[in-house]
Amino acid sequence: MALVEVEHLSVDYRSRDLPPSHAVRDVSFSIAEGEFVGLLGESGCGKSTLGNALLHLLDRPAHHAGGSVRFDGQDLYALSERDVNRLRWREIATVFQSSMNALNPVLRVAKQFHDAMDAHGWREGVDGDRHARIREVLADVELDADRVMRSYPHELSGGMRQRVVLALALLLRPRFVLLDEPTTGLDVLVQRSIVELLRRIQREQGFTVLFISHDLGTVLEIADRVMVMYAGEVVESRPSAELATNPLHPYSHGLLGSFDDPRAEHVSVAYIAGRPPALTEPPPGCPFAPRCPSRLAACDDVVPTLDDAPEAAGPGPSLVRCHLFTDVGAAELGAGTVPETPRFAEVTAWSGAASSAEGREPLVVVEDLVKTYERRRGLRKERVEAVRGVSFTLVPGQVRALVGQSGSGKSTIAKILTRTERATSGTLRVDGVDPGSLRRAALREYRSRVQMVFQDPFAALNPTKTVGDSLGRPLRNYLGLTGDALWQRVLELLESVGLSPAATYVDKLPHQLSGGQRQRVVVARAMAPRPRLLVADEPISMLDVSIRAEILELLADTVREQDVTMLYITHDLLSARLLADDIMVMRSGEIVEQGPTAQVVREARHPYTRSLLDAIPRPARAGAVPAGPTATESTTPTGAPA
Amino acid sequence: MTYFARRIGFFVLTLWGAVTLNFLIPRMSAGDPAQAILEQVAAKDGYVDPAQLEAVRAMLGVPDASLWSQYVDYLGNIASGNFGVSYTYFPYSVTDVIGDALPWTIVLLGTTLVLSFVIGTLLGAWVAWRRNTGFDAVVTVGSSFLGTLPFFWLALLLIYVFAITLGWLPSSGGYSGAVEPGPSPEFFVDAWQHFLLPAAAIMITGPIGWMLGMRNNMVASLGEDFTRFGRAKGLPARVLAVSYGARVAILPNITGFALALGGLVGGTALVEQVFNYPGMGRLLLEAVGNKDFPLMQTIFLFSTVGVLVANLAADMLYGLLDPRARRKETA
Repeated sequence: MALVEVEHLSVDYRSRDLPPSHAVRDVSFSIAEGEFVGLLGESGCGKSTLGNALLHLLDRPAHHAGGSVRFDGQDLYALSERDVNRLRWREIATVFQSSMNALNPVLRVAKQFHDAMDAHGWREGVDGDRHARIREVLADVELDADRVMRSYPHELSGGMRQRVVLALALLLRPRFVLLDEPTTGLDVLVQRSIVELLRRIQREQGFTVLFISHDLGTVLEIADRVMVMYAGEVVESRPSAELATNPLHPYSHGLLGSFDDPRAEHVSVAYIAGRPPALTEPPPGCPFAPRCPSRLAACDDVVPTLDDAPEAAGPGPSLVRCHLFTDVGAAELGAGTVPETPRFAEVTAWSGAASSAEGREPLVVVEDLVKTYERRRGLRKERVEAVRGVSFTLVPGQVRALVGQSGSGKSTIAKILTRTERATSGTLRVDGVDPGSLRRAALREYRSRVQMVFQDPFAALNPTKTVGDSLGRPLRNYLGLTGDALWQRVLELLESVGLSPAATYVDKLPHQLSGGQRQRVVVARAMAPRPRLLVADEPISMLDVSIRAEILELLADTVREQDVTMLYITHDLLSARLLADDIMVMRSGEIVEQGPTAQVVREARHPYTRSLLDAIPRPARAGAVPAGPTATESTTPTGAPA
Repeated sequence: MTYFARRIGFFVLTLWGAVTLNFLIPRMSAGDPAQAILEQVAAKDGYVDPAQLEAVRAMLGVPDASLWSQYVDYLGNIASGNFGVSYTYFPYSVTDVIGDALPWTIVLLGTTLVLSFVIGTLLGAWVAWRRNTGFDAVVTVGSSFLGTLPFFWLALLLIYVFAITLGWLPSSGGYSGAVEPGPSPEFFVDAWQHFLLPAAAIMITGPIGWMLGMRNNMVASLGEDFTRFGRAKGLPARVLAVSYGARVAILPNITGFALALGGLVGGTALVEQVFNYPGMGRLLLEAVGNKDFPLMQTIFLFSTVGVLVANLAADMLYGLLDPRARRKETA
């Protein structure tokens, strides 16, 4: 019997002023004992809401709007709060999205283990010695129990905190563990180690897992079965290996297409144009129809149901919600027709594309750059060598990627280039001048020529200023434009970043735009004073996978068409492979490897570069099940690794 | 340990700064104290004989010496607890005058402050636990309204009802002239009766700030991920409310409390004026009115030291209660 059974579950967000938003709509599925199920979807698709509903932890304004969640036969929504509390942690445990903050900051770690044990009546006689158990779970997650237990949460690193939370979740040997984005926000290499740890422990201990994530590669690699969610509904449910090689729903196609192995000879990724529908009034037909390249006439007004997939899809239990596979769709397509592979907008790696850079004078020359921070620790001074002896050049019309994990010194270099910090030693020449020597007017002029694209498009724009104001400010400050000339330039900028027709965006406030649109505004703002050098610090890491390629394309076009120089800072080798002509791999303040992108990525020499490459999840390694013989060549998604 | 050592170092440094400023500021202000004292003596006609003025100056020891030697004398006097003679209450020393006023202020304000803090914090925690309910709305809105009422108006209302109309309690003073101040039961009963009205007036609005602060902090801490995680752990409501919600939310309130304790030494001019209560606030008003430099300076010194000590205590307490504060300091 299934351990978790969800039937017709709906969750609404209700507020006084707005019509209710149906975040989770009539979702049904079940998870068998011992199964490792992934739940995949982009931000706003309802996956975390669904997770909270499974835990009976919906907080206002979310409301349970119908349906049941059965755990081992008991309906959580029919039980009293007391009885639900009894099931919690003993049976159902969880690891939250932002586990950085999941531990009580004023209690020692040990106390937070004890309170869970006390709450659930740990009996030394039956359950064993409590200290021994805490040691055991901490050892399972590869932590030094003695050190960790005495610590306060802030004394542990992000990765260690995440392990502590995982150990806490496993403390009472629960049968079901819900993991909600357990690795988001952690460093790439740490993410990798947590995912591997998780899978190993789950194999050893056999608990049931629902793993919620937007990280397609990780989910496909770690889960037995994957459910894809879109607009509050499950649109596909397949064994991982089958989904990875032969997705059925066009949305799954699009998601998989946004992924590729950076080591492949030809790298290309797709993106899904448009954005998910508002869920206040569910669309009359398929919610994905407006973004779907394989749309049929029926999609606009008949809601597809979640049905068994055609047998050709593979041997595993497969469900898909798409008219390409329903009777309605079959009637329109003609019986027996194999649906075509959906074609999404696609971008191919620009790196190594015939460039005009040959023999051009570099704009930026960096030689033996050193930055040492001093900080006081009590009476001692402590030196932190953030950058130690880095040399490189940046050529106009080219993109150079700076890759490394957090703390490697990447952002310090960005700060020195934008002259928010000064180098401790070494030489830096931008267009022949040393930015460190500039004062007042000259510095101001310098800053107009060196612009930055920030990581978080939500924080980079003033929420109270319209798009027009945000773009107009640098134009006024640096170019002295006013009146009609200013207005014209704002419109041109918006058009140039693909926000068209520009007039409809000028008066919008940031919160009225999607993440991708906001990042376009950020790029437009950076381009406003006609800079020579653009420093892009992780410009796509906060965006949904389905639109990342779109922003990369915009950056690539900007560099080529406007002949600017770009330093692209990232931890993500795939995007570096797509965008950058050259790549530098940085570790502990030093560049350990550099060269043309394709060469560095495909024939990495330094072990550190290789460990970064190994940290990239590979959907093709999904599950242990090899792809079924029925997976045909024609349905391989564009760009998916073979 | 560095954390605490650093705090104490800062304390000593600011204390020296405050003491020095306290020396300098009155000497920069205009006005002649001898003139003032004589005007008081000859309040009626306002005529002052220049010879009289010289005499008073000589008697008061009004400064002719250089600023530096005055400063050295000043520091020496502070160290030995000699604050000079009050111009207003001549021939009493400043130490005597303050020694009379300080206990009244400390008892009245100290009691009401502690009670306000305890009541406000507990109520705030309770309201936060039942957030977004009718109870929350009534208490929050009700107390915000009450908080807008001016203190003097409430005080006059209380005096009118309980002292004048009903005649249950005395309307002013710290004790009645009929009883000899001293550790006798009669005196305590008498002082208690005088204490009730001003205390009640303070207590009407006193807890509101603490309550609103606690409520808002705790609503935030209850919404934090760690509290949600605690709920997912199936912790009992009591543990969630106390160890997760209130334990984190109370930190800013405790700092505020420690600082308020320090400010208490200076007294509250408004309360003491309205109820004619013989505390530090009234003393300060008199000192300022009479240009009584030694008294003024000493009261300022007491208040500053009070605030500084409270600051130090708050920092120490915060270091004990919030492990993150200690860490930030050393990082």
